Amino acid sequence: MLSRKKLVPSSLRQPRSLTLAGYIFMAPTIVILGVFTILPILFAIFLAFHRVQLLGENVYKFIGWKNFIRETIDDQVWIALKNTAEYVAIVVPTQTILALTLALVLNTQVRGKRWFRIIFFMPTVTSSTVLTLIFMWIYNSNGLLNNFLSSIGLPTYNWLGDPDVALKAIMLMNIWSTAPLFMVIYLAALQDIPESLYEAATIDGASRWDKFIWITLPFLQPVTFFIVVMGIIGTFQLFDQSYIFSRGSGGPDNSTLTVVLLIYQYAFKSLDMGYAAALALSLALVIMIVTLIQRYLFKEESH
Amino acid sequence: MQKKILSFFALLLLGIFTFTSCNTGQQTGNNSVVTVSLNGWGDQVERQLLQQILNNFEAKHPNIKVKYDVIADQYMDVIKTKLIGGTAADVFYLDASEAPLLINHNVLEPLDSYINSSFDINDFQPQLLNAFRQNGKLYGLPKDFATLALFYNKKAFQAANLSQPPQSWNEFLEMSKQLTLVRKKDGKIEQYGFGVSPELARQGFMIEAYGGKIVNHNDRATFASPNSLEGLKLTVNQYRQDKSSAIPSDVGASSGNEIFGQGKAAMVMEGTWLIPYLKGTFPNITYATAEIPTINDKKGTMAYVVAYVMNQRSKHKPEAWQLISYLTGKEGMQAWASKAFVLPTRRSVAAALNYDTNPLYSPFIAGSAYATTWQAGENLPIITNSFNNQFISAMLGEQALKSAMSKAQETANKEIALSH
Repeated sequence: MLSRKKLVPSSLRQPRSLTLAGYIFMAPTIVILGVFTILPILFAIFLAFHRVQLLGENVYKFIGWKNFIRETIDDQVWIALKNTAEYVAIVVPTQTILALTLALVLNTQVRGKRWFRIIFFMPTVTSSTVLTLIFMWIYNSNGLLNNFLSSIGLPTYNWLGDPDVALKAIMLMNIWSTAPLFMVIYLAALQDIPESLYEAATIDGASRWDKFIWITLPFLQPVTFFIVVMGIIGTFQLFDQSYIFSRGSGGPDNSTLTVVLLIYQYAFKSLDMGYAAALALSLALVIMIVTLIQRYLFKEESH
Repeated sequence: MQKKILSFFALLLLGIFTFTSCNTGQQTGNNSVVTVSLNGWGDQVERQLLQQILNNFEAKHPNIKVKYDVIADQYMDVIKTKLIGGTAADVFYLDASEAPLLINHNVLEPLDSYINSSFDINDFQPQLLNAFRQNGKLYGLPKDFATLALFYNKKAFQAANLSQPPQSWNEFLEMSKQLTLVRKKDGKIEQYGFGVSPELARQGFMIEAYGGKIVNHNDRATFASPNSLEGLKLTVNQYRQDKSSAIPSDVGASSGNEIFGQGKAAMVMEGTWLIPYLKGTFPNITYATAEIPTINDKKGTMAYVVAYVMNQRSKHKPEAWQLISYLTGKEGMQAWASKAFVLPTRRSVAAALNYDTNPLYSPFIAGSAYATTWQAGENLPIITNSFNNQFISAMLGEQALKSAMSKAQETANKEIALSH
């Protein structure tokens, strides 16, 4: 990062009017960020410590940590957390590895690779709602997937109705639709690796696998960190797919209930804004902790 | 440079002020005509029908304009959010199951003071009115209702040499088995006897068949009592042991309507809404309706009641009442019920439309006499959610019905306690 000192020598102090002009230029962003990001965050913290009744008479009653204590004895929270954790644990590694593989393949001199890149990228630019609806057709008991499975002699599932597979169905869909985005990021990073390194390694007698392990992967490490962090944040916030899948109920048998869906249910179905805000803060905390742990692990590795 | 920036912002601000003030100017323009907003749900057909009736209303009341908006999905979530934000419509649809919550939160206008003798409130079926009454005050006027009846596929019945719809539950179970057809090629079931909806909203009368109750007088869930389980067992055993019923998702359908329309189940228990649906989507199916078979020698079914209610924060209450009284008055209701093929809540309208002698509709009318109204206090959403989750797992055989229901009841009551 370039620091401001390098651009502006410290001897030249900015005139006040310039500072003011700077703030005026930033005003739209500051106002929009303030009103739509900072204020809601502060308000969410305020709500989390209150019992809130919004319908009819508005009542805010301070109840301290009670909302947070309630989380620990709420079975739904644990189910949602378990589902979400399972989802993160399976989706993030799979989509990262898939993205890397696709990127490596498309980085070679495959014929028509531009077309492949475009085709692979399509699901990412399609709205997740539309994708979910299309996949619900595919997952239908008499749908494409089951017909395909039975034609090659594999068992079929009631993808939408069976609690054991419903979440897996969402995982499959999400891996398919997000991996290409990360593939593009990997592709960009792959192009930054100097060709000379590979040449030198070839002269030293390194095999393709050696080059991959000792040159490609270390070079991609910061990008991998970014992709895993974004993946974790994205998967922890799974909402729209499971909402559409279960029509907002998190069923069958709570199997597609995710933390964000639960927050939605408490906030807009039960109108328990205080508790929902407390849950949202806890989720933010969980994501932060996971990211920190991950940062620590990645640092450890690079030493 | 700086001056230019400042003058730009001054212009921008000026522009904003001018345009916004222009908008408010328009709103206060017409004083003589009052606009009443109306929210509801419904498909394209229902939308058009209601719009026609609203046009009639506007013709009769030239000083009132009705702004009718349909909320496409998650109706109650939207309505509640709008009520909180103070932007809810003056008049809106409300299902009986959601009424207790809104009544308890004082967001609905009591209608008693508006009702005069010419409105003839005694014409309404009393149990339907009671669904919207609390502490002696009436908060909504039921616009129509639906009960469940047995729809059966005539062709499938003929093919199985059955001439009569089942009268008792044992007969029903027996017929379901006969109507379940296995395809020879791969042993897959191509037609189930019965398409079941494993939801509390549909299973409520099964719970009550042997004297069970969904909730007690404290609005706490009691659907795991031995009496309740007795009824629910019938549904689960048919699905698990007889294998003569199917959940819509088993056969790739999204609802009981579809399962019946596609001919994947020979019988379903649905409301009057299925009649126009079949006419529009599956016109080739030949079917008839009958009362739900008796369980434990007692008749039972569910009733779903929808009312027009008035927003307490409405700015045009007299005009809103004009609208409600027209839509639920004899003339408006007759127009609505005859066009929309729903059951009218006024007895005089039901008689005028000859529903009680129409073979397709008479089972529904008969059902209204003994139906369980779908309503169970303020905590119904929590209870429903908990029940539906565990009941499906009992249906799928993941756990025994008794333990599933005890778990569901415990979860629901715990959540109710925590949320109060």
